[in-house]
Amino acid sequence: MRLVWWLATVMAIGLISIVLSERGTLSPLRNLSLTASSPVERELRDLASPIHNVFEGITDRGNLADENDRLKEELDALRVQLAEQQNAVQRIKELEDALGVKQSRPEDLLKAANVIAEDRSGFKRLIAIDLGQDDGLDEGMVVLSRSGSLIGTISLIYADFAWVRLITDPDSTINAQVNVAPEEPSVGDVATPATPAPDTSATPPASPQPIALSTEPVRAVAKGELRRGILLDLLPSDSRVVRGDLVVTSGHGGNYPRGLLIGSIEYVDERPQAPFKTATIAPAANLSGLDTVLVLINFRPARLISP
Amino acid sequence: MIYIFALAISWLFATAGTSALPYLHVLGVTPDFVLIFAACFAVLRSQDEALLVVPLAGLLRDLATSDPVGTSLLGFAPLVILATATHLRSMDSQFVPAVAVVATGTACHAAISILVLVLTGQNIAFGHALVQIVLPLTLVNSLFAAIVYLPMSWIPRAGRPRIISRSSMA
Repeated sequence: MRLVWWLATVMAIGLISIVLSERGTLSPLRNLSLTASSPVERELRDLASPIHNVFEGITDRGNLADENDRLKEELDALRVQLAEQQNAVQRIKELEDALGVKQSRPEDLLKAANVIAEDRSGFKRLIAIDLGQDDGLDEGMVVLSRSGSLIGTISLIYADFAWVRLITDPDSTINAQVNVAPEEPSVGDVATPATPAPDTSATPPASPQPIALSTEPVRAVAKGELRRGILLDLLPSDSRVVRGDLVVTSGHGGNYPRGLLIGSIEYVDERPQAPFKTATIAPAANLSGLDTVLVLINFRPARLISP
Repeated sequence: MIYIFALAISWLFATAGTSALPYLHVLGVTPDFVLIFAACFAVLRSQDEALLVVPLAGLLRDLATSDPVGTSLLGFAPLVILATATHLRSMDSQFVPAVAVVATGTACHAAISILVLVLTGQNIAFGHALVQIVLPLTLVNSLFAAIVYLPMSWIPRAGRPRIISRSSMA
């Protein structure tokens, strides 16, 4: 009989606590708890991280050599792309100035935060950071990795701490677009670039270079998934998305700024007769070993500024 | 004294569970040491102690994670009932009952957590959750139960549950 009473009491307290927690009444208690535990959590993370790295290095030694070679190749390719993009950015800026168009993303104001805890034991993928409302953060703000790729949004906020919902969390949904790599041009598409001014110097003229055919970005929805990490859904069946294509935020809906890197296409699932394709995205940021993240504080998500 | 010790260990496990233990992946999941500790405590110690320590361990776990406060308070309640059931049968060692309570308690806790998360508006894919989380976690928690059980079994036997044997019943 005593056990029945105990069970009834625990159930009552548990249900009341859940309701209060959802209403935010228990936020000060949670903030206090994180304040007390954060120094210990930091120490434990600092202790566990090198040990984990050592074990990972031993178990993945074979893969690391291959990965190193692959990354070197990618780095070379990216350097070439970077040079091309710097030219393109400069050109866009000149055109925007000439046309008086407002820049879609002016200078980002970022605030660095330390990751103090992770909640990935169960059905969610969240991390806790050591900044909160008192630091100017708000629910829904966008969080980036140190390299600037998207890692999530703030989902729970307390005075001094916040929980960030990662892009791999099942509740994460992002309007995305795939920057489809341009098709290989046919012989007829080969021509001299139009933009550079005629070279009057003594150096010989450059040989004709293939012009990349411009392609419309493919819009889709990136959803977090426990099994596959990030799933790109609602891809049009006629889109030519392939492994390695970059996926960025589209800016639709106003909850994310446009052009934030989410990751790259890892696998495309095509089914005949299906109206849409799906794809798996490999996140650009290493979400399992985050120690410092950046909160984008000058971008206000639409759900925060709408009445 | 035992209460302070038990709550300190629970807090340490809860804190480690969100800081150091996420680096430990076995079968794609991280062992839940708070649950393992609470289950072993409920089996090895008296019911009076378990009635207080087990829910408080759940509360400490909730405060360390992003789950709504009260989820593990509810989720850990079956541990006490399961442990009480194991006390009804005489056994030479409490290890097998402890592992059984850990395994069943993990499944019960997962079911209650899913229910709470769904009711609070979270998106849960049941099939994936069962195959990718619940089943591996049940197995991993059962395996890690030995690590927690062994040191706890060294604690002096005063206050241990009285085993109702056939001879004492007769």
